[in-house]
Amino acid sequence: MLVASLFLLAAGVLGAGLLRTSWRRREGAAPALLAGGWGVLIGAILLAGWVVGPVKGTALALAMEGIGAFGIVWHGRVRKVARERDGKGEGGDAPEPLDEPGRVWRGVLRTLLAGPLGMTAAMALAFCVTVYMPGDARTRIVTGGMLLPVLWGLAMTWTLADRRLLRATAVLVGTSVLGFGLAFLGGILSGAST
Amino acid sequence: MSNTRKKRWRWPISPETVRSVLSSHSVLGLAFAAIIYLVCLTGTIAVFAPDLQRIEVPGTPVAMHLSEAAAARALTEAVRQTPSDSSIYLTMPSPAKEGATLVAFKPGFERNWAVAEDGTLSPLDAIWTEFLIYLHICLHLPRSWGGFIVGLTGVALLSSLVSGILAHPRVVRDAFHLRLGGSRRLQEADLHNRLGVWALPFHFTLALTGALLGLSTIIVAGLSLLLYRGDMTRVYALFLDPPPAIDARTVPMPDLAALIAQARARMAEAAIDSVMVERPGRADMRISVHGRRPRHLVVQDEVQFDAQGAAIHEEHPKDMVVGTRVLSGIGQLHFGWFGGPVVRVAYGLLGLALCVVTSSGVTIWLARRRDRGRPAPQWERIWSAVCWGQPVVLMLTAILAFVYPEVPLAPAWLILTTIAIVLCAVMNRCSGEYLARLWRRGLVVASALAAVLYLGRALY
Repeated sequence: MLVASLFLLAAGVLGAGLLRTSWRRREGAAPALLAGGWGVLIGAILLAGWVVGPVKGTALALAMEGIGAFGIVWHGRVRKVARERDGKGEGGDAPEPLDEPGRVWRGVLRTLLAGPLGMTAAMALAFCVTVYMPGDARTRIVTGGMLLPVLWGLAMTWTLADRRLLRATAVLVGTSVLGFGLAFLGGILSGAST
Repeated sequence: MSNTRKKRWRWPISPETVRSVLSSHSVLGLAFAAIIYLVCLTGTIAVFAPDLQRIEVPGTPVAMHLSEAAAARALTEAVRQTPSDSSIYLTMPSPAKEGATLVAFKPGFERNWAVAEDGTLSPLDAIWTEFLIYLHICLHLPRSWGGFIVGLTGVALLSSLVSGILAHPRVVRDAFHLRLGGSRRLQEADLHNRLGVWALPFHFTLALTGALLGLSTIIVAGLSLLLYRGDMTRVYALFLDPPPAIDARTVPMPDLAALIAQARARMAEAAIDSVMVERPGRADMRISVHGRRPRHLVVQDEVQFDAQGAAIHEEHPKDMVVGTRVLSGIGQLHFGWFGGPVVRVAYGLLGLALCVVTSSGVTIWLARRRDRGRPAPQWERIWSAVCWGQPVVLMLTAILAFVYPEVPLAPAWLILTTIAIVLCAVMNRCSGEYLARLWRRGLVVASALAAVLYLGRALY
């Protein structure tokens, strides 16, 4: 495991190093360096999956390559002179969050949408997958279970970003009612058939 | 990939939407910042739980190999020392986990031991490590509620990762920028974005597995309502072996060493990973021997024996469905306990990166407010108490566990945390930066003291 880890760390350094070399070129990206960088990073993941084990190797590769790549970022760090404020210089044109007038009812509604209602809608969709997906019950349950946090997270992102709260409410309520209805129906049918 | 104007990357989302998503990223991050930070910090330390246990309990034997006879001796000794209806679980040493450990448990009872190479047991009651793990998995709240809150935190982290990427149109242009020492906001933004992006697969895996582990109770409850009229045991029964029929007559223990050897022969490609004895010394006893193959993340071989030592069930990788394999691997992937010390160090570093991402997110918000002439000094002080205060408080609980092992650590942690936050909130004359400096010095002192106490005891 130590040898594999060091190899993957080196692959992370090499892959990110090639990408950084391309990134630094003032005349534009070098396709060969880009392809080489991504090739090293992806190739090392595939190799780790093949040699160490499909899940174990991939997990190890993603962790070690991340560290190696950040090593390259850290190596290329620049020290700047402290100033009171950086205006529109480097990084000054980064996007700024929208400034909206704070209204309590909008805050409460958004919390409800991103929290309980988002969870209900995500659960409804995940359970639909569990009920209707073909295959072994255990695999269906785990698939639905893994989908729940992902769907809930997406619902959170969307409802907190969407300024049309009524639309978000309608979609989430509709998804919940429809999803749970279908899942319940499927559950009854599968229960009746067993 | 270039930072020149020749070939500019076109972000597929409109600038207005980017600002909306950034706003949602900000709101969500701030709402969950403290709890995400606490869960990440405790999780980062919990990765080293096997090592911490050994530091906490000096003289703990670290078996590099455990023979069948020694394993049998350890199991028999544990059976002798525990109530008859307990279950005994022995974990063998492996390249992924040095040392053999044994736990005996039943509802309301748990005892842990380390097992020496000759099979002798030595108590392994690492109270601080246990406190830390429970703080991470359920915040010392009732298990289902605490788990749900931690699961919700995982969902918030997942959502923040998604919105963070969507709201980062400069992801390619700034891919390698790390500008330190200039404006505070730019420095923190660079750290936040670089650590967030380059370790994204790790952050995503951690958030997803954490959310799934935390929300498991609610998922099972929901599914049981839909499929089995609320009978949760039927969902669990899909993943667990059904218990043997009750027969409480006393019987002698079978030759455990011979059973382990027999199981080893039946799973030639796997190394023995663990042995579990349920209802030891009773006629309904069940002995399960598990094996792990080198390329597999989780155990996929199992041989079960009854009280007479007859093999009653056998399972190998081809018998396991994908769902069971995935479920078994979630904990391993989440805690990084699958690859030995080198993986633990990697997980520790990446966990630390996630702590920095969380902390810098709040710092960026505070710096932005200051830049716009709307500083929030009280929040700056409170964040210093969370960001730098929490490591100090955890170190203080470690010192407390050393000096007064009988003190309940969870209430102590809560009291210290409350005092730290309230004190920082009311210290109007101090800036957040000054308090953070004080906390950092406190962390150095507390860490040094804890190291002297624990390592001193371990060495002498």
